[in-house]
Amino acid sequence: MILFIVGLVALISAASMLVLREPMRVALALITSMTALGAIYGLIGVHFIAAFQVLIYVGAVMVFMVYVIMLLEVREHVAARRYSRWLVPAGAVGTLLLGAVGVAASRASVPATAEGATRFGLQAFSAEFLSTYWLEFELTTVLLVSAIVAALAVIAVSRRRQG
Amino acid sequence: MTALMPHTLLLIVLLPLAGFLANGVFATAVGGHRFSHRVAAIVGCTGPLLAFALTVSAVLALQAGGWTPITESVYRWATIGDSSFEIAFHLDRLSAIMTLVVTGIGSMIHIYSTGYMHDDKSFGRFFAYLNLFLFFMLLLVLGRSMLVLFVGWEGVGLASYLLIGFWFDETANAAAGRKAFITNRVGDAGFLLGMFLLYRAFGTLDMDVINASLTAGQTAGLAASLAALMLFVGATGKSAQIPLYVWLPDAMAGPTPVSALIHAATMVTAGVYLVARMSGLFMLAPDASQVIAVIGVLTAFFAATIALVQTDIKKVLAYSTVSQLGFMFLALGVGAYGVAIFHVVTHAFFKACLFLGAGSVIHALGGEQDIRKMGGLRKRIPVTFWTFAIATAAIAGIPGLAGFFSKDEILWFAYASTSGGATWLWALAAMTAFMTAFYMTRLTWLTFFGTERMSPEVSHHVHESPLSMTGVLGVLAVLSIIGGYFGIAHFLEPMLPLPPVDPAREHLEHTLLYLSIALAFGGVGFAVFLYGGAVDRVTGIRRAFAPVHRLLEGKYFVDELYERVLGRPLVWFSERVLLQGSDRTVLDGTLNGLGQTAQRAAGLLGRVQTGSLQLYALFVLIGLAGALLWSWRHV
Amino acid sequence: MTQASALLWLSGALFLIGLLGVVIRRNALVMLMCMELMLNGVNLSLVTFSQQRGDAAGTVLVFLSFVVATAEIALAIPIVLLLVRHTRSLDVERFSDLRG
Repeated sequence: MILFIVGLVALISAASMLVLREPMRVALALITSMTALGAIYGLIGVHFIAAFQVLIYVGAVMVFMVYVIMLLEVREHVAARRYSRWLVPAGAVGTLLLGAVGVAASRASVPATAEGATRFGLQAFSAEFLSTYWLEFELTTVLLVSAIVAALAVIAVSRRRQG
Repeated sequence: MTALMPHTLLLIVLLPLAGFLANGVFATAVGGHRFSHRVAAIVGCTGPLLAFALTVSAVLALQAGGWTPITESVYRWATIGDSSFEIAFHLDRLSAIMTLVVTGIGSMIHIYSTGYMHDDKSFGRFFAYLNLFLFFMLLLVLGRSMLVLFVGWEGVGLASYLLIGFWFDETANAAAGRKAFITNRVGDAGFLLGMFLLYRAFGTLDMDVINASLTAGQTAGLAASLAALMLFVGATGKSAQIPLYVWLPDAMAGPTPVSALIHAATMVTAGVYLVARMSGLFMLAPDASQVIAVIGVLTAFFAATIALVQTDIKKVLAYSTVSQLGFMFLALGVGAYGVAIFHVVTHAFFKACLFLGAGSVIHALGGEQDIRKMGGLRKRIPVTFWTFAIATAAIAGIPGLAGFFSKDEILWFAYASTSGGATWLWALAAMTAFMTAFYMTRLTWLTFFGTERMSPEVSHHVHESPLSMTGVLGVLAVLSIIGGYFGIAHFLEPMLPLPPVDPAREHLEHTLLYLSIALAFGGVGFAVFLYGGAVDRVTGIRRAFAPVHRLLEGKYFVDELYERVLGRPLVWFSERVLLQGSDRTVLDGTLNGLGQTAQRAAGLLGRVQTGSLQLYALFVLIGLAGALLWSWRHV
Repeated sequence: MTQASALLWLSGALFLIGLLGVVIRRNALVMLMCMELMLNGVNLSLVTFSQQRGDAAGTVLVFLSFVVATAEIALAIPIVLLLVRHTRSLDVERFSDLRG
């Protein structure tokens, strides 16, 4: 029941992101949605993911975002349109898909847990992470290195622009 | 006689190559003309002279060894399956004579060229090419395998091409070089095919091995006539026989020493050498030999008729060369291989002398080649005159001189050989000999006797050539006198036996001998009578035979015929079918079409690239919907 | 409807809302946030599957996607800043220089 309510909060706050005009309000709605998701993670038993969700997304990413919104102070023109010209077709397709996913989810009988499978905790996760999935970990570091290079490029561009 | 130094034969071949490399790099524009003319001349002449000296020592060693062939393996070129192809040199009686001629005459012409080409701006390049030619020619005559011979064969073609077009800044010269090269290619195709046939039959290309098996009677799996004819096709190209002789007169575009060395003394006799070398094959192919004899005598006859009316001093000599080569092939065709080689040698002496003498005349007259604008040079350039006159007497067949012996033997075997001799062959050849005596005397007379017909300022500058040229002329003149006493045909007999003589005709030998002497003197006398007397004698004859004269002057219009029959259809085919049909329409069309298709498709796809982020995201959305729909239906 | 299927539907809904947001909103920052929402939706489905199968793979992927998402936003926001400085606007419809 609690899970249902929290899920509803996440959904409603996400949907409100589509209609709110001010970026700051959108950011607040996203933070709400993310926190609700963190709660869901906790409720289904993956506590460490819940902790990271709150720490990284809400604590780091969204704070960064809010900071930038405040920094920019770009007031959108009052007459500026909130929506792009694809509102109608995108809305139609999106609603259709949402319904389709709902129908598919309700029809499918997904068992809560697979047979013989046991839920696992942080300890099992850590062991798996460092023994089986070390290659993925390394690939991610490669991705991060390229991100560093990209960051340097962006800095170079902004420096050049400043002269 | 001490034993032969190892690798002497290799050294003989490589010395001219070294000269070519040195001069080619340092005396031409490639190396920035680092050699002066003097150094280039010394470098250019050293190689051939050393090669000649080495050849002499090798021949002496050969004699000391009782004429057992010396074979020198140098390098295994390729091994294919069980058969290997080696670069090996082979010195026996035949190649010894050829090598002596090539290096000897070659050296003399090199020395001559130091005087003749003295003022040419491409002096070093000339010597580089000459050395290159000698290298390939030696490869040709010394090679044991037909493959090595073929490399030399193609190489002398290349050197000939380079030297004919030596003064390439005139289009006509470059075109002449091209003509020589392309005409030779036709013959080369035949040569290659003949080589393949022999290889299939014997599994080797070593010519002494092939000859030995042929003499031993192994002819299994060999179409002897076909192979012989194919090789002969190759020989017609290189040795300027009907129908491929057309390149040789045009080859006179090159400097005169080149004409003497390549287009008279050595390269053009390569075909004769080839046939003599493969005599075992030709002896087994009497019908092919018959073809050779007929082609030879026809070439000799027709070339001589053309030479009657030519007015360019070098063209006369060129047609004379074609004619003499025809004589050699006549000898080959009737089985007298040694006699053909004999004539090769004597012809090398007197024709080189004639060409070099012509060069001396041209040199004296500042480049004039038209004999109608010469005359009266006898007193002005006496050394040239005397040597030229001796060589003329030799080629005309005056008794006692070199040409008399070899030509007389050819005539005799054309008449009396049991392997293909015939009266009509003799008759045509004898008429040719008469014409030879006539046109050569005409040439000498118009050049050296009578009144001076050149312009005064040319006449003012007439001078005798330097010693480097006249000395060589003297040596060649002496050789033209004594060359006949070498008895090369008999020297070669152990290797190339002379054909048996028809006993029914044997008693006529002396009659024919006197007849040919009479013909020689008759030709000379008739020419002196015509050209030494009043002018109207010549013009009268010319008027009386006007159509014949026009035909001869037009050289039987063979070039025009080839142009009509071969040239124009080829050009039409290339232009219409290959260029416009295939290249422009099909190839270009395909590529352009592909390019345009890609361009149009890109233009269409480019419209999607609107720069609107939202549109791209919408595509993602639509794609997602499509993927879901598809998986609903199919999974 | 079981708990797992409800969570899966929620994850799909979040993803679609995020995608819709990217399509229909014009503000660059809002679009970025919508993309974050899409990522969150996917994360939820991964965790759900992982829990349901008792397999660590999904959780590991979520963990890694946290890292990548952080890096991504750290790069995306400076780019948006540069664009804003360039055009003095957050309207992505002005940024169409790469039109074909």
